[in-house]
Amino acid sequence: MRARVIWLVALVLLGVVASGCISGGGGTQTSSAKIQLTGDFTKDAVAVGKALQQNGISEVRFSAWGSGDPNSVMRVYGIVEAARRINRIWEKNGIKVKITITDTHYVASFQDAYKEYLSKQPLGQAGDFFVNSYAFLPTLADEGYILDITDYAKAYKSVIDDFYPSLIEASKFKGRLYGLPQDTEARPLYIRKDVAARIGLNLNGLDGKVKNGEFTWSDVYMWAKKAKESGVEWGLIHRKGSAHPDLIQFIFAFGGKLYDPNTGKLVVDVPAVYKWLYVEWKFARDGLLPKDIMSWDWAKQIHPTVVEGKTLFDIGGTWYWTEWQTKQYYNGRSLTPEEVRKWFYYTLFPAGEKGDKPVTLSQPFIWMINSKAGQQNPKYDELKDVYHELAFLMVVKASDPDINAIHSVISAHLPVRKAAAKLIKDEKWLNDLKNLNLDLDPAVKDNIKDIVKATVNPINAEFLANVSYMLEYTHLAPAHPKYPALADIFKEAVDRVLRGEMTPKDAVNFIIQKVKADSELAQNVEIVGKIPENWKFPQ
Amino acid sequence: MKDVETRPRRYSRVIILTILLASLPLIVGFSLLVISSFSTEMVTNLNPSSFHLTLENWISVFHGKLATTGGIRAPILRITLNTLIVALGVAGVVTAVSALAGYSLSRVNFRGRKHMMILLLVLHAFPGVALIVGVYLLYRLTFPQSMDIVRLYSFMYVIFARAALEIPMSVWLMKGFFDTIPWEFEWSGIIDGASRITVWRKIMLPLIKPGILAVALFAFLAGWQDIIYVRTFLIDQTLATFIEANIEAEFSHMPMIAAAGTLYLLPTIIFFITAQQLLLQGYSGGIKG
Repeated sequence: MRARVIWLVALVLLGVVASGCISGGGGTQTSSAKIQLTGDFTKDAVAVGKALQQNGISEVRFSAWGSGDPNSVMRVYGIVEAARRINRIWEKNGIKVKITITDTHYVASFQDAYKEYLSKQPLGQAGDFFVNSYAFLPTLADEGYILDITDYAKAYKSVIDDFYPSLIEASKFKGRLYGLPQDTEARPLYIRKDVAARIGLNLNGLDGKVKNGEFTWSDVYMWAKKAKESGVEWGLIHRKGSAHPDLIQFIFAFGGKLYDPNTGKLVVDVPAVYKWLYVEWKFARDGLLPKDIMSWDWAKQIHPTVVEGKTLFDIGGTWYWTEWQTKQYYNGRSLTPEEVRKWFYYTLFPAGEKGDKPVTLSQPFIWMINSKAGQQNPKYDELKDVYHELAFLMVVKASDPDINAIHSVISAHLPVRKAAAKLIKDEKWLNDLKNLNLDLDPAVKDNIKDIVKATVNPINAEFLANVSYMLEYTHLAPAHPKYPALADIFKEAVDRVLRGEMTPKDAVNFIIQKVKADSELAQNVEIVGKIPENWKFPQ
Repeated sequence: MKDVETRPRRYSRVIILTILLASLPLIVGFSLLVISSFSTEMVTNLNPSSFHLTLENWISVFHGKLATTGGIRAPILRITLNTLIVALGVAGVVTAVSALAGYSLSRVNFRGRKHMMILLLVLHAFPGVALIVGVYLLYRLTFPQSMDIVRLYSFMYVIFARAALEIPMSVWLMKGFFDTIPWEFEWSGIIDGASRITVWRKIMLPLIKPGILAVALFAFLAGWQDIIYVRTFLIDQTLATFIEANIEAEFSHMPMIAAAGTLYLLPTIIFFITAQQLLLQGYSGGIKG
């Protein structure tokens, strides 16, 4: 019996030791081939192609993983198109190697896509290219699951410099570059023009007043109340849930912060959080905002209420602009671009009170490269660096201004490159896109033709051009591993305040208690400031 | 308690009504799913005015698309085939193992038999989710070096891992079926000179056909419906992971998801209806000589 127990313990220990060794496999392999990138794309692509050909490789297989709304499929088709463009360069230069994209895996929920990547990357089963929120980049980089492209990018300084600097910063972890921005967005405050006209709200120059901080949330409250009194069902509709960090705009609009870069900790800025919750509470108590909105249905309640003109204000996202044109939210049909332009005005998210600044919030998506990119190809151990360089070149190609501009126009996300921003203002190019008269992979054309038909027109391009300035006011939600847990607590507090189960003061204390009750969260969150007891809203 | 045959008929209506009422949430839920799959919007609000007949949802599903505009076109036939491979694989492994093990436990008095039977029950108490960390560890330990066979390996691993979860209960089920067969059937074969394995194959297995079918059906359903193991280990998509990948509260067009859900349910329903008679025979446990 004793011997059996000893054997069993030994077996368990062996298993534990073996499990510790698993991830170390292959760590000592050194690569014999490496190309020095020059920054001349064609030259680099040819050099990589030749290196592969000399090693007997005739086909390179990659897979692309993306996620998001159905209009954002260029997040994977961008890679397919990049492969075609490099294949063409190789063909022209007599290189008999071909890139094949074996799998375009697209998941609606970007959080689910991230979890899937986390579980499959260690096994080498995750996509070679992974497009997802910048919020996950630090964790993936820290785990070694994505490729550090800092050294490769040095040769492509001119391309890097064309990206908006704040977005490049969002692609870094501990000063190293781990991806290239793919898209971003802003979250405007939409105002129904017809409702505004009915209650006498003059929209001429309102965006300027918001920019100057003259039009604040007290004004939003006042006009929402007037709208309600005039018979409109609601004064304000906003988004729900904690996955998208929309509501935390209030914290920034009230001059607060969510993250302290000096300590690397998240922050519960008590005065700003209190003011945010007070505004929510006041709107809900006065019947201007549905008290159960955090459990409203997107397709049956939130969007129809907005597009049918049952509210004056709506806190949304830039992608709403085309979403309303492609989803049947308006009495069983979608809106036409003309209707969207006719009915909706948009501004920045107003300042909380006089003296504060207007804001918007972005959650950039990043092209990331799997640290095992190319693993399913022959001679991976010998040619690992070449495969990685090729993967980097593909991401550079997928960031071509026209690919980025196509994505922006059809999904109403904002361009991440200045050259792409310029392109969407070009009427000829827009026309070519509308007729799909562009040099694109036939499979890509076929897959995006219905979105192009529904979304490409000058009205949408004008909208994107008009909201681009909002990026100057943007804030990013903290890319901190514990942020989702804090966001969930905020969401619960907002829900309780809206339903009248808690006063704003109780809700702030509830947040503090919840943070302190979670030891990991408590270590990662600083609580600063006090509740401003005498604060009044509206002012 | 009276036998069914002697129970007064007036109670039968009450019983049927009670059973119907108890089944109502399921019947309503599945019906709404099927009806919504033929509608432009979901009819889950029980409002008939929400129903507007369309075949678009089904057409899109058969084209591998679950979005009204945009989205990625997935190879739906391949995905259905993947689901079938996993389900049939699990059913095959579970049936083969449990038919052999069930016979041994029923007929052979070997050392440790009782302990093994108790161990099987204990094993059945562990839910698949609780074991996933260990199963993942084993997957990493046994992961092939050659990337060429990874895809095949992931299929085999999912089938065996999922089958392992089903085997304990199936063995017990099979043992129960073997227990109902009189020893005389087996003895007559042995007296005629047949080996134990021949007796098992030629005499016992035909007598427990309903049992085999029941075990195979439950194992098939387990493989067809599995999502956790498939999502964790399988490289390819199955219908479960395909539907899951397209569900997002903000973006999804739910009637299309309903169509995909109905497609996902169809084989289960067909399998159950066609095998119903045989299953009932199994439950009644009669032996026809």
